[in-house]
Amino acid sequence: MKKDVDELILYPREWVDETSSRVHEVVHRWAQKEIIEDRLAYTHHYETQFDEKRKSLSLTIGLQKLTLPEEYGGGGWNTMQHVPGVVTIVSEIARADAAIGVISAMTYSIFGLIASERNRKDALTKALAPMFCGNNLATPSVMLPGAGMTGEDTPLFMGRALPVSIEPAAGGYRLMGGAMRPLACGHMADLYCVACTDKDGESCVAFVPAEAEGIIKGPAVKTTGLNACRNATISFDGVRIPEEYVLRDPNMLATLHIWINLYLGAVSVGSSLNFFEILRDWAESRTIKGGTPMKENPLCASVLADVAEEIALSRLLLYNMAHVFVHSERFGAVEDKGMFTFAQMIGSRIQKSALLAINRGMELMGSAGYAKEWHVEKHWRDVKTIQSALCGVGAGVPVKMDIARFFFDCKEV
Amino acid sequence: MNHIDEFCVPHEYISPMEKHLRRVLRNWVDTYVMPNRRLYDEDWKDHHLLEPAFDRLMAGLGFQKAMFPPECGGWGLGKSDYLFRAAYAISEEIGRGDTGIAVAFGVTFWPIFTILIDPYENMRLAKELAPLYCNTDKAFFAANAMTEPQGGADIENMELLKGKTIRTTARLDGDEWVINGHKLWPTNSGGTGKLFGVPCTTKPGSDDPNDFAFIFVPAETPGVTQSSPYEKAGMAADKNGDIWFEDVRVPSWYRAHGPGTDFIAFYQLISLGQVASIAFLTGAMMNLYERLYEFVSTRTYRNKPLKEHDAVAAVIGRIAGDIDICRILGYEAAMIGDRRRMPYGDPITSERTVGRIRNIKDFVSDRAVENFGTAMDILGAYGADRDWDIEKHWRDIKIVQLWMGGKQLCQMEAARYYFNCKTL
Ligand SMILES: Cc1cc2nc3c(=O)[nH]c(=O)nc-3n(C[C@H](O)[C@H](O)[C@H](O)COP(=O)(O)OP(=O)(O)OC[C@H]3O[C@@H](n4cnc5c(N)ncnc54)[C@H](O)[C@@H]3O)c2cc1C
Repeated sequence: MKKDVDELILYPREWVDETSSRVHEVVHRWAQKEIIEDRLAYTHHYETQFDEKRKSLSLTIGLQKLTLPEEYGGGGWNTMQHVPGVVTIVSEIARADAAIGVISAMTYSIFGLIASERNRKDALTKALAPMFCGNNLATPSVMLPGAGMTGEDTPLFMGRALPVSIEPAAGGYRLMGGAMRPLACGHMADLYCVACTDKDGESCVAFVPAEAEGIIKGPAVKTTGLNACRNATISFDGVRIPEEYVLRDPNMLATLHIWINLYLGAVSVGSSLNFFEILRDWAESRTIKGGTPMKENPLCASVLADVAEEIALSRLLLYNMAHVFVHSERFGAVEDKGMFTFAQMIGSRIQKSALLAINRGMELMGSAGYAKEWHVEKHWRDVKTIQSALCGVGAGVPVKMDIARFFFDCKEV
Repeated sequence: MNHIDEFCVPHEYISPMEKHLRRVLRNWVDTYVMPNRRLYDEDWKDHHLLEPAFDRLMAGLGFQKAMFPPECGGWGLGKSDYLFRAAYAISEEIGRGDTGIAVAFGVTFWPIFTILIDPYENMRLAKELAPLYCNTDKAFFAANAMTEPQGGADIENMELLKGKTIRTTARLDGDEWVINGHKLWPTNSGGTGKLFGVPCTTKPGSDDPNDFAFIFVPAETPGVTQSSPYEKAGMAADKNGDIWFEDVRVPSWYRAHGPGTDFIAFYQLISLGQVASIAFLTGAMMNLYERLYEFVSTRTYRNKPLKEHDAVAAVIGRIAGDIDICRILGYEAAMIGDRRRMPYGDPITSERTVGRIRNIKDFVSDRAVENFGTAMDILGAYGADRDWDIEKHWRDIKIVQLWMGGKQLCQMEAARYYFNCKTL
């Protein structure tokens, strides 16, 4: 009998608590029943079904509010112990649809940043809770630092440009600048989580509700993947926000990167797990050379092995990252950039591995891997979109510079 | 370097007409393709935007006549000593704009190569089919319908399987062939193709090359049914679908040649298809260079233009260097084909030619897949953005790595030649 993918591609289950495992089962049923078993219909009616499926997951099952504190109407999973469980759930969501996975990942990253027991920002959490704990879908959009423009001297975060700045204004702050491209959902967001700087060039993180005046939204851009997460270029022209909507602690932006790497890693692992399942079905039945099962051909078998290896290793790395993060006090404080470096390093490796697995596996699927009907190409496009966005700019170079700086005390790079 | 035309050109290889061909095509790409190509993905089914571009290229500029001899109203390229190199230049220029257009255009010639390249010419059939290509003011499309539901790789694995797995049958009934079978995925199916070249077997399960038949079937022949096009990751300009043949009857002389010769004439298509595939890839990569140049000059990391940052420079330098190297290899692959008539050349169907050209195609495909992926990452948050064009090429060119039997068959055919393998 065919083994379940979770039994085949191992992960440290003991790091995932009992409650999380139960919720995982519920999400697994949702993924199977609502999307995976009827993928063709989902693909054909993606525009309409996307919101419906999101609603059943986020509102009916209640995952949208999962990581908000109970006292504000949330699911109470704002403890660090739940992090491996959330990773498992995000992967499961992405096994069905990476786009829903990305929205979940951004939501959990934001509340990981402001609501987790280790670092609670109560006033802000309380203010944002009604948006995420109510009866409507809420879509966040995370804007990380990235490319600057030639000729402009932009404040930097670890070499990446921060074109948005804040300045104090009566009772709060005013945001200026931009032309930034969010990770996803810029065109449809209810809330922007924006990397920015203060007048001294210190990095901070601002939260901007979409209805605030002065947000300039470019047209929805067509993208390789994550097509339901409609993106756009965003600028701010004197947008006013209350004081508690800005996190001034300079470690906050590094911490946001950690959460984002972790949960987007979970998305790409989930997507590649489903790719693995599809490829396995294909390899079971396809024959070559006039009748030899394809998987029994040593060359094809070695490609299948590469696929399994990349996915299995990236899954283990993902849980290790979660584990290290949960116990970061044992591994060194977040502030010393060690966690940031590990998150960047592991996060980019996971994205690379997930994409490599899909890219190689597609080699064995011939035209089927290229046809919408087989869904493989969607995983390929979605994971690539995540990978590129997470790079920010300059491919792997900024992360390499982070790593070199941390391990070798480079000062100039 | 200031311009894509400064990528390597082996001047001693190129044909006297290449400069003119490239100039005309560059102008056509810039006028008809570049302004619209970001909308092609949504045009995959109807080709409203694509049709005028095809009409201009194929009928207006007359490129669809290119391969036919002058006595049939064509340009005579099929008989030229420069056939492969001219095909390379044409395919590369079109590929720079859109590899989907390039394949739809190139495949239109694919089946007729079986009857136009000496020593395997069939002038009676060439004269019969020429008006479809040469006497029209509309783009005309043809398909080479090899792939079947059970697999495409085996049918292209001619050296080992010799047509043994083909299930589409041809039976001679009086002076007509009766064809039955099911093909899928051919470029220019899905309703566009008006003529199909169909590899069939006259004796199912046989690996005797004499039992292989290549037969031309006009799409309107009773018994031919086409599905609507499939929706794909990219290559919107190329329509692909199913073709069913049910007791389809065509005149007996619609067979390319006859027992044994069909097999060898068809086998020529493998190397021609691979050289064109390399050209699609180098063309797309030249456009990658153009678009990437703009991004790395105008965007910064650490407030320095990306191209001035040493570590980024190493990455983009590798990409451009690869393009240069791939182009050298592309011309070399074309030259291997064009040496076929020279005393030191080999027939296009020799194991040596097939193995070496497959090897180059495999190498260039891998470089292209990797370089487009890396380029998207250099653009970072903009990498997936349609407006930067790189993502479109990334989606389009992946299938170039996979078609014509797949990457693994390329690897096997290369190994077979280099190491004299007997059982692969
Ligand atoms: C845009 C597009 C255009 C196309 N154009 C055409 C066309 O013009 N005409 C046409 O006939 N088809 C066309 N195809 C189909 C394409 O050529 C086939 O899909 C391809 O040949 C692979 O066949 P398959 O998908 O049936 O895979 P299979 O034949 O089932 O092969 C599966 C995989 O097995 C591996 N494999 C195969 N043989 C071996 C071996 N001997 N040793 C080791 N591994 C092996 C390969 O990796 C291969 O990818 C097109 C497809 C697309 C998407």
